[in-house]
Amino acid sequence: MYELTVAYRHILRNPKMSLFTVAAVTLAVAVIVVLMGLTSGFEEDVIATTVENNPHIVVHPKEDEKYISLYRTVSGILWSYPGVIAVSARLTGKAAAKHKDEVAGVEFVGIEPADEERLMNVQEDAVYGSFFDLRTRRYAAFLGTRLASDLKLHPEDDFLLVLGNKSIKLKVAGVLEAGSAVDKTRVYLPRRTAQDLLGKGDVVSEVAVKVADIYKARDITADLRRLFGYETKSWEETNADVLELIQTQSFYTMIFYVLIFAIAGFGIANTMIMIITRRTREIGILMAMGATRGSILKVFVIESLILAPPAALIGSILAYLTAWAIMSYDIQLPSEVYIVSRMTVSMKPEFFVYAVLFALAVNFVAGLYPAWRASRMDPVEAIGSA
Amino acid sequence: MHEVTLGMNGTTEDIIVLRDLSKVYKDGVEVLALDRINLDIAAGEFVAIVGPSGSGKSTLLNMVGLLDTPTSGQILLKGIDVSRASPNERARLRNKELGFVFQYHHLIPEFTALENVMMPMLIAGKKESEARVRARELLVSVGLGERMDNRPNQLSGGQSQRVAVARALVNGPSIVIGDELTGNLDTKSSQLIYDLLRDLNKRINQTFILVTHDMVLAEKTDRIIRIVDGRIVCEMRRQGDEFVASEKCDLGEDGGEIRRD
Ligand SMILES: Nc1ncnc2c1ncn2[C@@H]1O[C@H](COP(=O)(O)OP(=O)(O)OP(=O)(O)O)[C@@H](O)[C@H]1O
Ligand SMILES: [Mg+2]
Repeated sequence: MYELTVAYRHILRNPKMSLFTVAAVTLAVAVIVVLMGLTSGFEEDVIATTVENNPHIVVHPKEDEKYISLYRTVSGILWSYPGVIAVSARLTGKAAAKHKDEVAGVEFVGIEPADEERLMNVQEDAVYGSFFDLRTRRYAAFLGTRLASDLKLHPEDDFLLVLGNKSIKLKVAGVLEAGSAVDKTRVYLPRRTAQDLLGKGDVVSEVAVKVADIYKARDITADLRRLFGYETKSWEETNADVLELIQTQSFYTMIFYVLIFAIAGFGIANTMIMIITRRTREIGILMAMGATRGSILKVFVIESLILAPPAALIGSILAYLTAWAIMSYDIQLPSEVYIVSRMTVSMKPEFFVYAVLFALAVNFVAGLYPAWRASRMDPVEAIGSA
Repeated sequence: MHEVTLGMNGTTEDIIVLRDLSKVYKDGVEVLALDRINLDIAAGEFVAIVGPSGSGKSTLLNMVGLLDTPTSGQILLKGIDVSRASPNERARLRNKELGFVFQYHHLIPEFTALENVMMPMLIAGKKESEARVRARELLVSVGLGERMDNRPNQLSGGQSQRVAVARALVNGPSIVIGDELTGNLDTKSSQLIYDLLRDLNKRINQTFILVTHDMVLAEKTDRIIRIVDGRIVCEMRRQGDEFVASEKCDLGEDGGEIRRD
């Protein structure tokens, strides 16, 4: 196997050429992985944020009814589905909140704190107070931060919640900051208190559910719809607009990916063609000494096999480190614009696979093609054409 | 048929026979570089090919060396027609039967002198240790025993050409061809190389076919073939210290000064 000797010597005694080959493959892999990771990280974050901030399934009243009165039965049925991890029966509505001279429109949510906590992790967003207090304190409420500041409310202040000609006095038991629009409108209060305010008896307006596997939500929803007359919606239906945005986005993502691959591939192809074409003369000399076409190709295949895989590995490591740097740098994005609040790089194993396979293939083809062409020439032609 | 008087074993076996060999280059304009060449070269001959620039000397040499393919005609190497051989067969013959020395030495720059000389043997599938021993011997015999581990860029032009000669000889080829192999060297280095080849020709009966512009060097050989416009116009053979022209030598208008006295 003198081909191995030639390849090996050539690599070692041409450090500049070897470096260029390695650099081309390394950079291509790193660029592909990081850019794919950023694009898909953004998409995943949008979905994750959507899924996290909303119930996965919501059961609404029957078509010609305004409330659900058999919500305990409904909850029981929901719990019977495997994979259901939280069920919260909520009485929601619009009302006005008053404190001294300040008035604000609010969206109240009457809940059982333990259920709601399991569903939405409310306590996590609390900047003040314990959400479970709502279980024992009947006339207490949790407010969004911005709502509280609009109403000039401080912890343990009293305010009025007004619905039509009814009103109740509530104490600020806690303040929430979710980082989204609800901070300006949300008022959590015990479900019984909300039912009192509404005056329609022991009813709720929705039963919200979270499931372990969000992609099962659709099936459960369909099943519920078939069994009962309740309006049931999965998170996909509720957030159709966001998902549609992602759908449109993924078309552009495809174009973006194509461009990334094209640019990275071009980099490799350019480098390889330049390097190998410069060796046309050497190929001619080897052929004059009796090297066959097969041997010539073998030399270049071996060189490619020696240089490209380590280069791909270095590229992968570089990509990983870059992603890690981006993540740990914690680049903040304005969440009003981007829905998500920071840059995430999603390091999916398949990105590495795509990038490595692509880079190796381009390196191989772009390196072999000039060698193949040279090996088809008569030796004098190859020697002369350098 | 001519009579061959040279070579230690005095064989009359023709190692190379060209029959009506033509080469037409066809990129853009058609150039008839070789026009129905007929030539026999016997084992052990030391042949010079001369002629004006563009006459087809290199083209002829490349045909003989199987480095290029003829347009028509036949090349018989040791009696076997190789003009239509497959690329792999031609590669095998180049490796086993032919040795080349070009004007620009064409050593592989990444390899040391020793490795360059070993290469044809490695291509032939010989063991590396065996190749190393033989390559060392040859480098010593061309006077480069001290420079074996130098790379081509650390060698002078004359030294590089001697490495190329050693490389051409390493597989014990039937014929060594050289295209203006001293064209880039000063007179002294050229003389040195020619003396080396002459010596090898005498000692191991090595067949050489050399293209040259230099009549002084050509006259160190045994047979001078003159080409003009792709045709052999004249042939001269050494007899003792003199050259005797064949009856074809009636065209003298091309400026080649072959003196007969
Ligand atoms: N690759 C080629 N393509 C086209 N024409 C060519 C090619 N090689 C040589 N020729 C032409 O063929 C003819 C013979 O060329 P060749 O190189 O054999 O001449 P030469 O006798 O070696 O000349 P020189 O002494 O200058 O080296 C010339 O007219 C040349 O222009
Ligand atoms: Mg020439």
